[in-house]
Amino acid sequence: MTQGIRVVFQNLGKRYDQRVIFRGVDGSAEPGSVLVVTGPNGSGKSTLVSILCGLLRPSRGTVQYIGGDGEVIRPEWRLHIGIVAPAMSVYEELTARENLLFFARVRGLAFDRADVDRLIDQVGLDPERTTPVVGFSTGMRQRLKIAQAILHEPNVLFLDEPGSNLDPAGQDWLEDWVAAFAGGGKTVVLATNDRREMEWGVGRVELAG
Amino acid sequence: MIDAKWSGELGVLSLLAEALAVAAKDLRTEFRTRVALNALGLFALTTLAAVSYTIGPYRINEADRPFLLSALLWIVILFAALAGLDRIFVKEEESHTAPLLRLSARPHAVWLGKLLFNLGLLAALMVILVPLFIVLMGLPLALGVGWLVAVLAAGGFALAVTTTIVAAIIARAMTRGALFAVLSLPLLLPLLIFAIQGTAGVASGEIEIVRQSLRAMISLGGVMLLLSAALFPVIWGE
Repeated sequence: MTQGIRVVFQNLGKRYDQRVIFRGVDGSAEPGSVLVVTGPNGSGKSTLVSILCGLLRPSRGTVQYIGGDGEVIRPEWRLHIGIVAPAMSVYEELTARENLLFFARVRGLAFDRADVDRLIDQVGLDPERTTPVVGFSTGMRQRLKIAQAILHEPNVLFLDEPGSNLDPAGQDWLEDWVAAFAGGGKTVVLATNDRREMEWGVGRVELAG
Repeated sequence: MIDAKWSGELGVLSLLAEALAVAAKDLRTEFRTRVALNALGLFALTTLAAVSYTIGPYRINEADRPFLLSALLWIVILFAALAGLDRIFVKEEESHTAPLLRLSARPHAVWLGKLLFNLGLLAALMVILVPLFIVLMGLPLALGVGWLVAVLAAGGFALAVTTTIVAAIIARAMTRGALFAVLSLPLLLPLLIFAIQGTAGVASGEIEIVRQSLRAMISLGGVMLLLSAALFPVIWGE
């Protein structure tokens, strides 16, 4: 797999019918660093993240994933992406273990129960918990979503308000984890309005709103 | 961080494994919520009870029985199936699980997995409904059970393929109910006609009609399968 991917976006704009969400947005997320996307509520931070990870098409502008072997074509972006976002859920009827085994299998990963349990433990959840996710607290769900985002060791990680449902200990863990992830040469795009999370980044894209 | 372990499988085998994972996930969540199962079962049993109570096996002339009972059987199957099958993609969108599924799985694995799940639900529906219908309504089987199973399998396959792609289309639309009706009518009407003709042929002992209907349903199912495989990545994307 291509190591270290730059996410370069130029002149991005998005509109729904007559409503302009944002326009003329440029930036570059570099391997080994955190790019912070910030802006007031409704300025389009989550929309920008969705465009950068290929879930939405921009009304104008371009997004490129550039790895060591050259540009990565759009259908293959998903192999390199992990994402944690408030508008994206895991399966509430399944347990944490069942969710992660499912996402591993559809990604073609040969994970067994022990691999998944190790990952669950790594994000601070109890691997032996057999309750479906519907019985989880919001903080526990957030930790599970983070586990889902990293199980395939993505090169690019999108975090949309990742600490919003975590307790202080969870936020400390997340900060250390993001620093270690980026320090390993991976690319992080962080959409947030949290002053503490904003300090994790070296680059910043500010949406006007 | 743990090491991601790539299975190393490529091509069709890997796609099939991913599709089976999607189907197994749907089956597991369905057994825990029973939304589609309840909708299918309740509609099928209520309709069957109402039809058998008001019409029964003896209020229809012997000569008309194969055709009328075949039509009734497929109407019950069709509407019971539609009551549950159109939910398979809508549920992913409404519970906000669709974006992660889009980013995790190949589009064709999602489509094939949903189709397998749909086929499973439809097979379960038919296994329960058809014997009850035969007993309660007195559907004659002049050509034997084997030919009826063949007609049900071909019709069920084409029905599952068609409803799966229609369900994918309507899940992305705002006016879901109306769109489902508009899209389903031209796609399902010819299938329904051939399925009724085939079943009536089995009931009345006309083997040539059964063979023609089987060919037509397999062709329709095959065309819809190829069209779905080509269109699904576009429909499933933005």
